[in-house]
Amino acid sequence: MTANAPGQVCLMQGNEAIVRGALEAGINFAASYPGSPSSQVLGMLGKVARERNFYAEWSTNETCAMEACIGASLANARSLCIVKQNGLLFAADAIHCGAQHGVKGGMVIVTSDDPSAHSSTNEFDSRYQAMSANIPMLEPTSMQETKDMVPYAFELSERTHQMVIIRLTTRVCHGRGNVVLGELPEKPHQMKQVGEWDRMVCVSYLRSAMLQKMDMLRQEFENCPYNHYAGPDHPKELIVAGGTGRLYGQEAIRRLGVGDRVGLLSLGTIWPLPEAYILRHLEGVEKVLTLEEVDPVLERNLQAIAGSHQMQITFSGREDGALPKIGELDPDNVAQAISLLTGAKLPEKKIASQEPLIERELTFCAGCPHRATFHILKKVLRQEKHPGAVIGDIGCYIMSGQAAGQYAFQACNCMGSGINLAEALGQLTHYGLDQKVVTVCGDSTFFHTILPGLVNATYHNANMLLMVLDNSATAMTGFQPHPATGITAMGDQVPPMDIQKVVEGIGCKAEVADPFDVKETEKTIRRLLNTPGMNVLIMRQPCATLMTKKKKRPVKVYVDQNMCLGDGCGCDKYCSRVWGCPGNTWDFKNNKAYIDPVTCVGCGVCAKLCPSGAIKVEGGEEA
Amino acid sequence: MLSTIALDTQVIKPGLCTGCGACQGMCPYWDSVEGRTLCYFDCERKSGRCQSFCPRMPMDLDALRKKFFPEDTIIPEIGPFRGLYLTRAADPAIRAKAQHGGTMTALVELAIQEGFIDAAVMTRSQGGLEPEGVLATTAEEVRACSGSSFQVPPTLAVLNKALKEDRYHSIGVVGTPCKTLAVYKMKSKPLAENDNHADNIGMVFGLFCGWGLDWEGIRDLTARHADPEKVSHMDIPPSKYHSLELRENGETVSVNLDEVTPLVRSGCRYCTDMTAEFADLSVGGARSADGWDVDKGWNQVIVRSEKGMQLLELAREKGILEFKDTPETGLDKLKGASMGKKRTGVKNLRQLTGSEDDLGYLNPSAELFKDL
Repeated sequence: MTANAPGQVCLMQGNEAIVRGALEAGINFAASYPGSPSSQVLGMLGKVARERNFYAEWSTNETCAMEACIGASLANARSLCIVKQNGLLFAADAIHCGAQHGVKGGMVIVTSDDPSAHSSTNEFDSRYQAMSANIPMLEPTSMQETKDMVPYAFELSERTHQMVIIRLTTRVCHGRGNVVLGELPEKPHQMKQVGEWDRMVCVSYLRSAMLQKMDMLRQEFENCPYNHYAGPDHPKELIVAGGTGRLYGQEAIRRLGVGDRVGLLSLGTIWPLPEAYILRHLEGVEKVLTLEEVDPVLERNLQAIAGSHQMQITFSGREDGALPKIGELDPDNVAQAISLLTGAKLPEKKIASQEPLIERELTFCAGCPHRATFHILKKVLRQEKHPGAVIGDIGCYIMSGQAAGQYAFQACNCMGSGINLAEALGQLTHYGLDQKVVTVCGDSTFFHTILPGLVNATYHNANMLLMVLDNSATAMTGFQPHPATGITAMGDQVPPMDIQKVVEGIGCKAEVADPFDVKETEKTIRRLLNTPGMNVLIMRQPCATLMTKKKKRPVKVYVDQNMCLGDGCGCDKYCSRVWGCPGNTWDFKNNKAYIDPVTCVGCGVCAKLCPSGAIKVEGGEEA
Repeated sequence: MLSTIALDTQVIKPGLCTGCGACQGMCPYWDSVEGRTLCYFDCERKSGRCQSFCPRMPMDLDALRKKFFPEDTIIPEIGPFRGLYLTRAADPAIRAKAQHGGTMTALVELAIQEGFIDAAVMTRSQGGLEPEGVLATTAEEVRACSGSSFQVPPTLAVLNKALKEDRYHSIGVVGTPCKTLAVYKMKSKPLAENDNHADNIGMVFGLFCGWGLDWEGIRDLTARHADPEKVSHMDIPPSKYHSLELRENGETVSVNLDEVTPLVRSGCRYCTDMTAEFADLSVGGARSADGWDVDKGWNQVIVRSEKGMQLLELAREKGILEFKDTPETGLDKLKGASMGKKRTGVKNLRQLTGSEDDLGYLNPSAELFKDL
């Protein structure tokens, strides 16, 4: 990654290409909060930051990261902020204000959208943020473009004194491709002292300056090297592609054999659109198909451009149903849409297997403390006179809304919202709502956005219980450090923050429980549910994945099949069916419970739940 | 239908559950908190023991009693009958803590000592609040269960656990009518493939019962009138007193019954059994037509089976119980009271189902109630 070998060809993931691009741009500052699919970027930057003499941090949340990058820009530093679609929305105020006051040092935001929501709760389209905030946006197609666009975006940002967004999508982040390396600068970008009369202030009259920048950018994008056209000179049918759409389009055109009649216009400059460039390519075209990820943003804008020039063109894409309105593009749905556009026959597809795949829900890992937490929580809530109201939040534990967590919660909004939704219900218990109110958050989410909500709920003494599922990790995105871990993105050891003390510091009661101590924790939760006012319970047990990494030889947990009563037990396969840990399976030959030794990590909770005491635990060894 | 769903939709949601605990103690699914029966997770069995033991699931009661009692001993009003007696414990120490005459405590103690049973599932009333089911094996443990509670603990969960463990092979059960009915359902082994060691059930001792009360309701009510910690006894004197009596530090505190009746457990409103008709013998407080004080401190005992008769005669022989002549009107009075409860239960069931012809869980036994 840090080799200064211009011209060398490397196989890179899109996320790696961003890192390399940032190094070639000589960034001074990078900040991010982990969010799939671009979580790896800052992790890699943190590892090389010292060597390349820049600062990198895992910020407490995306707004911290975004605003820190804006701050760095004031000292003429080149700053890079990496977020996912939700992160960009979370920092929306910062970028809207930032766009209005502009930047000094180059500032680039990498946002990764997640079409098909592989690792998200949504498929929000980041392009609206660029349009809304008047920020230029680029979208690469290949890994090479991804790398090259970063230094280009910094130069553009400095030339126009405006931040630049690069939009990635999951397939670009995680896909691999060849990248020809560029030169690494000797030193990072030259910073400058903040001058007495330097200004980056958001005031309303800067709006016109901001709009002038957009005009400038529109001109600039008319001749941008990231906009391409391939195909015949005057096609009747034109495909306009953004991002991955270009690659799918190329493949489908080849498959359908329509390369001699269909044009493919690929746009790397997503906002503002190069209107004259587009108009030139629309000349004489009768039908346009737009290939883009998520919403028909490009499609609608093309319609507007064509409409304002009285062009008679039929548009198709995500809006008219030629492509699905939800989910990502793929070679098949794109080929089908192009077949529809051109009338070319769809080549027959070889089907690998007729066997349907078994449908499986996402679930917690074997040994995950969350499984125990939600098992206990469900039991405790069933013990209450009325069903409780449980509000979820964002993290691995969002899976608790499914079988893995006994369908734990009734509502889950955005990250950090749980405490606030619950606060409202907690207040309503003073007005006749006779229900116990519970919300959950992870340790990383706690610092991310729960804190202000906790201050609010504590100050207003809501009747509720916040369970902080402290697994000592930002587990969902890949174990990035957070303020309670005692380590930073650059590998520095720092004093970890104690969540219990933080909670107590704002004057709220906080207790700690171990989700693996099933009986005791059941009592604790029951007691706290019946304690009026704001209560916090920290469920402390490290993430199972972390634990397996640390253990030399884990505890051995197995079923003594002589003691398991099989179908004769009243438990109806409690371990594998209800507890549901992937380690607990059923031995259909002997009709007894079985623990898969490969999957089991030795948490031993199932041994505590087995009504026949048939599950045995043998001591392991700490590394 | 899955068993857990069947019980939830046919018994718990309509408010029929008695809280007896017959569905509990055999699996990780059913539990009880403060008299409320609850299900933690769904079980996928279609024919579970939980629903086949439940006293509020439909069952032909006439067929069930004919299975265990000779037909010629059955009296329509009060079930199997071999004799009615007025008794009390001879030991004044038992009487001092007893609800009425201490007959039940003395009989169960004797039954263990004489090997009629090797353990007894009983309810420790703890002065009337926060009672719990226990498995008693010694005289001390039996005596600790003296006195009644109007809160209803899931005592049969203790029985189910004890049966499952298979450690005792002749377990006596002391319970209210809903509980003893459930025990006879267990004895009838409705699920051939898993009877939960029903043969380990020894004798069944029934307690007369008018109704139980809502757990929280009676707790709050008690707290309004006395210090719950200091209450050692609760009783309902004959109806003309229209009161609930709390004994606080030896003093009697009288609570107007109007405060109590709204707290009657929903499930008790649909009960048609006052005298615990499914039992070897049934014990209740004596109620003389000549006034409360005449028989105060005495029990009336209905002997229903041969075994019950053997135990009672042994108690007479050994001087464990004192006997008093039963007034001639005693049996008629008892029959009248029993029929009164049957009429109310059937009326309430008709109201619940909304149909004169639909008696809900009593439908398979409709013949027994056709004249009510």
